[in-house]
Amino acid sequence: MAAYIYGVIDSNDRLDAAMTGLKGTLLRNLPYRDMGVILSDFDKRIAPITKDHAFEHEKVVERLMEHFTVLPFRFPTVFDNEEGVLSMMSARYDNFTDNLRRLRGKMEFGIKVIWPGDKMRMRLTPDQNSSPLLASDTPVKNFLKKKFQEYQKEKKIENEAEARIALVDGFFDGLAAEKKLEKLKTENLLLCAFYLVEKGKQEDFRQAFERLRSSSGEFKYLFSGPWPPYNFIKTANS
Amino acid sequence: MSQEVKTDSPGDFLEELEKTRDSLPKRIAANPQNVEKGLAKLVLTLIELIRKLMEKQAMRRIENGSLSEAEVERVGETLMKLENKMVELKQIFGLEDEDLNLNLGPLGKLL
Repeated sequence: MAAYIYGVIDSNDRLDAAMTGLKGTLLRNLPYRDMGVILSDFDKRIAPITKDHAFEHEKVVERLMEHFTVLPFRFPTVFDNEEGVLSMMSARYDNFTDNLRRLRGKMEFGIKVIWPGDKMRMRLTPDQNSSPLLASDTPVKNFLKKKFQEYQKEKKIENEAEARIALVDGFFDGLAAEKKLEKLKTENLLLCAFYLVEKGKQEDFRQAFERLRSSSGEFKYLFSGPWPPYNFIKTANS
Repeated sequence: MSQEVKTDSPGDFLEELEKTRDSLPKRIAANPQNVEKGLAKLVLTLIELIRKLMEKQAMRRIENGSLSEAEVERVGETLMKLENKMVELKQIFGLEDEDLNLNLGPLGKLL
């Protein structure tokens, strides 16, 4: 029988309440030393893989998060049998132990910020203070001057973005155990930030977001969470 | 504990996040009819990446003033010829700038 995996938790106890997972299958906790693997038994692999399945997977992980520290597995993770799952646990036990210890009592929050990057780019005028090396008027120098102006424009935007991100991040100073900041994923998506926050600091984190939101009219903000710590699990390769 | 998604501008965020999804091709389109174009796209994308890196490095050195007059001429001519050659190759294979785009993760998009 194939095993569909949702995640690893910091408990090897049997699940208290009857919980269902993908396609209404019962969840069970397969114990391995001091932790457990939450899985559903399947006769065959899940096919076709749909968006609804992904949501069901996510819901299970969120429910588990209410009671345990969870290391969520990628959707869809299927092993041919229970032996395969146990072999994976044996190989990765130390890594899972480190992650569970580091993530215990913490949850992930997401902050996204949109800024008017496209308008800024249009407003920026070429810098007239070109390099003295490009002073003469030859086809090659003219080509380089154009490139140099584009380069300076990009640099200005990047510096501006860095400064704004530092301001946004400052609102959450001291509230997160770890963070990941992704800059300018699109021209206008200034920041995709992920913060790992201890349970006791969640309310402060929310309030910090409200202060951020009311601090500036020209930016747009999105808050989400708490989520399982998807972005903070360190695999052996990371 | 309940998850919350809070924003005053859901439409704007949806639009931007959709753009980030476009950064990876949904599948590699290869068949006997377009294998040449597919291969050219792959090779030209890599050349474009290297060309952009060279260009950026050259701009940094111009900015720092670490190139001599003769070196600036030589670098400029090389970059100009490379850019022209890329335009030519894109035309031959019927490729647009966007076809050669790459998402370089934290470094952003290539083009």
